[in-house]
Amino acid sequence: MNKKNIAKILSFRYMLMATVLIILAGGLLLLPKHQKQEGITSETLLSHAISNERYISTDQISHKIINGDPSFILVDVRDEKSYQTYSLPNAINIPLPELFKDAHLEYINQDQFDVVFFSNDNFHADQAWLLCDRLGFKNLRVLQGGLNTWFTTIINPSIPSEDQPLEDFERYKTRKAASMYFGVTYPDQDIDNNLTVPKPTPKKIITVQKKKKRVAEGGC
Amino acid sequence: MKTKKQNNSHIYWNPYFGGFLLGIIIIFTFYLTGRGLGASGAVKSTVVTIVDQVAPTHAENNTYYSQFLKDDDTPMNTWLVFEALGVIIGAFISGSLSGRIRWRIQHSPKISSKRRLVFALLGGVLFGLGAQIARGCTSGAALSGMAVLSSGGFITMLAIFGSAFATAYFFRKNWI
Amino acid sequence: MGPLLPNGFIPFEWDSIIAIIIGIAFGFVLESSGFSSSRKLAGVFYGYDFAVLKVFFTAAAVSVIGIYYMDYLGYLDITQLYIHPTYLWGAIIGGVIMGVGFVAGGFCPGTSLCAVAIGKLDAWVYVFGIMIGVFLFSELFPLFEPIYDGYFLGNITLIDSFGWNPYWIIFIFAIIAVVSFVIADIIRKRVKKVFYE
Repeated sequence: MNKKNIAKILSFRYMLMATVLIILAGGLLLLPKHQKQEGITSETLLSHAISNERYISTDQISHKIINGDPSFILVDVRDEKSYQTYSLPNAINIPLPELFKDAHLEYINQDQFDVVFFSNDNFHADQAWLLCDRLGFKNLRVLQGGLNTWFTTIINPSIPSEDQPLEDFERYKTRKAASMYFGVTYPDQDIDNNLTVPKPTPKKIITVQKKKKRVAEGGC
Repeated sequence: MKTKKQNNSHIYWNPYFGGFLLGIIIIFTFYLTGRGLGASGAVKSTVVTIVDQVAPTHAENNTYYSQFLKDDDTPMNTWLVFEALGVIIGAFISGSLSGRIRWRIQHSPKISSKRRLVFALLGGVLFGLGAQIARGCTSGAALSGMAVLSSGGFITMLAIFGSAFATAYFFRKNWI
Repeated sequence: MGPLLPNGFIPFEWDSIIAIIIGIAFGFVLESSGFSSSRKLAGVFYGYDFAVLKVFFTAAAVSVIGIYYMDYLGYLDITQLYIHPTYLWGAIIGGVIMGVGFVAGGFCPGTSLCAVAIGKLDAWVYVFGIMIGVFLFSELFPLFEPIYDGYFLGNITLIDSFGWNPYWIIFIFAIIAVVSFVIADIIRKRVKKVFYE
């Protein structure tokens, strides 16, 4: 093989490589564009949404509050007026439209506490849960039935009738005790008891550690 | 012909092949660490360490050194220093595989070794100064910057090659 | 999901080990491409060897295409990468000074480290020169501070600066690279051959 032939082959190779490079670069232009998915995929979101795992019952929550469980944050997603009128003890108020304000994100987007959303019923709390879950935030829960269920089960539990099973009576007993803790008085209570029961729960101060994220650094 | 090629230690890789591999390395660097390559940062850390050892109070009072001084750690414990160590190791491996390792001064036959060293020193001083002003050298600012389409990377690249081409005439005797 | 280290897919302790491994690969490729030879490097400015241009542009084109493909496929989040900050006049003045240093010394810091490894004494002197340069800069820092910290435009990309579509930038960049390779080969044929090692 003489030199000219080698040069020819080489130049053909280089042409080929140049074409490949340009096609690869142009390929990015031609590829169909899609909206960048932020957070989890839609399949995961759907499976999360169908499952009932996110719900926490009013009984569980009242149990946690009474025991002073520090592992969760209650988030009231109703507007501020409703929050002022009545809310759960130690709940913080993040109205749904303001969910993603920076000041609120540090409560919602962290790995330290469980976040329990609640509203008057499931509906707005579920919305908040969906939005946050979509972004991949962790440890999100929803109070089953919201404040309405809270009232019918904890604050004003219905007295079981004679023909109901024993568990219902047991549950009624605990719920009644819980409601006493939350400041409800019953006519059959002793006066002595009455004095001690309505103690206000001390305001819990929630300190959230900022989520640590190492930023890529560089420099030469 | 073939044996001659094998004995010649100055046959380097095809530049496109080298460039392709270098590009892959940059992609991996960004994929693994989120940052680009660098070289002059390691020299900076070395200087900061030396100054800190020789004159600690002076280093702390200087606004520039004090940026890189930590109480509990030496300035040498940075990513770029380890990377630079790797560069030296890698180059040594490559050089020994092709038998290029030996002590020497490389210069044009038209100039003396002394002149070459003087210009090397001068070039080094200028490059060190410029790399600090521009916050990066050809690998840190230009190459890694261009890989993520950083405006600063492109400006630095154009400035380096523009001024190098503009002044090349005055240094021609050193090279041709 | 990527970059892996900042997102915690790889433990932080691996940082330095990865640095050394990447450095070894970097140094190996630089040395094998002939970047430890200052006369080869300087060739690009006199038209007798365009290795610098070819390696440099190929690497930049390959890496930018690869990074954007990985971003497109979702392996790498481009917004999390470190974008070299733009200090307008710092980049220009620093670049001009570096350019003069490049022609005078025949190395850039990365390549000089390669040359140090294979025993080139001029590279040792060059690295010593860089140290002096850094030392001078630090000692005269108040003098340089206005340029060093001034004209800060943020960690911006060409997309932010000009509002161009990144894919068009890459496409045009690839074409410029190929055209420059062709021009380089044409020039090299016309320029008198220079023998160097």
